[in-house]
Amino acid sequence: MELTALQQDALIELLSIGFGRAAASLSQLTGHRVVLEVPQVSVHPIATLDSALRSLVSDEVASVHQIFSGPVAGDALLILDYKAAGMLKELLTDEAPLPLPLDASAREVLTEVGNILLNACLGTFGNLLQVQVSFSVPQLNLDSLSEILRSLMVNREGLRYGLVVHAGFRLRDAEVTGYLVIVLSVASLDRLIRSVEAWEQGQS
Amino acid sequence: MRGSSAGEGVLGAALLQWLDVLAMHGVFTTDDDHVIRSWNRWLATNTGYDSRDVIGRSVFDALPDLESRGFREYFDAALRGQTTVLAHGLHRYVIPVAGADGLSMRQSGSIGPLTVGDDIVGAICVIEDVTERLLSERELRAQIEASDRARALAEEAVRARDEFLTTLSHEIRTPLNAVLGWTRILLARPAGAEMLARALEVIDRNALAQVRLIDDLLDTARIISGKLRLDAQPVDLSRAVLAAIDVVQPTAAAKDVTVQYESGTEPRTMRGDPDRLQQIVWNLLANAVKFTPPGGQVTVSIAQSATELTLTVADNGEGIAPEFLPLVFERFRQADPSATRRHSGLGIGLSLVRQLVELHGGRIAVASDFGAGSVFTVTFPARPEFAEDFASVAEASSELAGLRVLVVDDAAEGREMLTIALEQHGARVTAVASASEALAVLDGTPRLELPHAIVADVREAGDAALALGPALGRRTAARGGAIPCVGVTAFDSPQVKRRLLAAGFHAHLVKPLLPATMAAVVRSLVRSD
Repeated sequence: MELTALQQDALIELLSIGFGRAAASLSQLTGHRVVLEVPQVSVHPIATLDSALRSLVSDEVASVHQIFSGPVAGDALLILDYKAAGMLKELLTDEAPLPLPLDASAREVLTEVGNILLNACLGTFGNLLQVQVSFSVPQLNLDSLSEILRSLMVNREGLRYGLVVHAGFRLRDAEVTGYLVIVLSVASLDRLIRSVEAWEQGQS
Repeated sequence: MRGSSAGEGVLGAALLQWLDVLAMHGVFTTDDDHVIRSWNRWLATNTGYDSRDVIGRSVFDALPDLESRGFREYFDAALRGQTTVLAHGLHRYVIPVAGADGLSMRQSGSIGPLTVGDDIVGAICVIEDVTERLLSERELRAQIEASDRARALAEEAVRARDEFLTTLSHEIRTPLNAVLGWTRILLARPAGAEMLARALEVIDRNALAQVRLIDDLLDTARIISGKLRLDAQPVDLSRAVLAAIDVVQPTAAAKDVTVQYESGTEPRTMRGDPDRLQQIVWNLLANAVKFTPPGGQVTVSIAQSATELTLTVADNGEGIAPEFLPLVFERFRQADPSATRRHSGLGIGLSLVRQLVELHGGRIAVASDFGAGSVFTVTFPARPEFAEDFASVAEASSELAGLRVLVVDDAAEGREMLTIALEQHGARVTAVASASEALAVLDGTPRLELPHAIVADVREAGDAALALGPALGRRTAARGGAIPCVGVTAFDSPQVKRRLLAAGFHAHLVKPLLPATMAAVVRSLVRSD
């Protein structure tokens, strides 16, 4: 399934609202101006998600994982490669992480960043669909990308598509790119896209 | 069903009790109006807020700090089903608590929804004390930084060593090339007198440079391993200066740099090692000549106060860049270490000078006007009471006119070299190949025509030539027993010197020999005799 240009624009616009909220929270928390951009959105069948992501991040990644449930259900992940994760942690807290590869404090900070971003985006979707979406407690994993994706498929049979959102953090003259991956069932994705289209029409 | 639900109820109550009494985290709950409904024992013990004081009150009323830090948003989000992570790195703490060290307890935590079925009935806040973890992270961080620093230092040392080795091979090859180049030219075809003179001058200068280089290297190695010992004795600094000027003169002349000594020839006495003092002065002079352009001038002077001798070596050369000035006495440091640098040298001369000066209880300083020259000032403790041991340097003429010298060397080339060197200074030389021949010469010589001095090459401790000393000692003056004897060795160490003196020799010279030095030594022995 491919998104039309219109659907893509509408999704970017909608996600930008969520990212804006997340950026405001991060700015407030850190005292630094944090800007979050959504430059690109794409949809991939779950079987090709691995290769789509592999061109974007190295194999060893830090991922913040939250399961969401309700009328729209699925898995949401923020994926950063180790280098980006370390950089982001240092930019946000003024302290470089220990090379462990990531110490507990760094993992905690990244978990919160992922949490803020995922909550903001999924919250925006929830508002749009006018449904209550519930979230699990976020979990940070340090693992290989393929292992993470494999466990997603094993645990959740109905999941078919992955929405990949490029998340560009800009703060203190530096840029760090992470990837938001929202894995949905066909029905959930359908519902989301239809709502996004309706919202776009309502906007114009 | 009934039993099962009763079981769940019991387990639920047990869980609550565990959370309340035993949990190692702070746990409190609020209802859908943000009113605190439970407050576990960990919180009561660790935060100073007792459950009786907070339960039933709005969380923002009981803990106003949470409101002012924007936590209302998180409790609101929990009632919408969202969980908020509170990382220590971003929040520092959830509930302010003064820790044992007077700092607040470091905390992280989370705020999330409490649900019954699909209904959100309130929020739960879980707090963890991460003070210990942060301390160990900080410790680890300090260890990593320390090891990074150590590695950087080691890498810097390796880099300096590599640079040094590169420079060393360059410095060793350059004079060798000159020597080899000219010897090949001379071997290939007959040379005219002018060319021969030129060749010998270049070979001599470069061989001398090589000798100094090796001396400096060996001394640096000795200093590094703590094995450099001074052979301290009363010494006249003026003589060391004049001898060093003699050595550096050919190089200076070749470059059209004038070396001028301004302080007269009266003895400037101190306690020190004459060879090392000469090395100090030579290094300073060589350095000054190196950095002075043709037509320039190097001025040497010695000033004396009641307690100190101050040696000054000034040049009007290019000077030292201000940023390099603090580093000039560091080993292997050069202002311009690049391969294309204009000046040769190992970068050990000045560091060696400083070490040698300090071994003498002295100190060295440098001042420089970048572009206009440098002044090195060395100060030694003066010992004016030694002055009477030394006649003025002016009297210590190297002129050997009228003196008869007996040379003993089993190597024909060495014999020839010694003979020519002494003859150049006016001596009449008889040369023999062994100690026994030397004694035979003495036996066959009338008393009034006995040699004034003997110069013998002594290769090692067991050398037959060494027996010359004791053999002379057993003789009457009429048979040569009083003739002063100079031992020449290839080894320079206090032990060798002691062995020679113990065998009855009067002075020790080390190869390679400078004719002027040898002549001065012979002259001084004959005169004091």
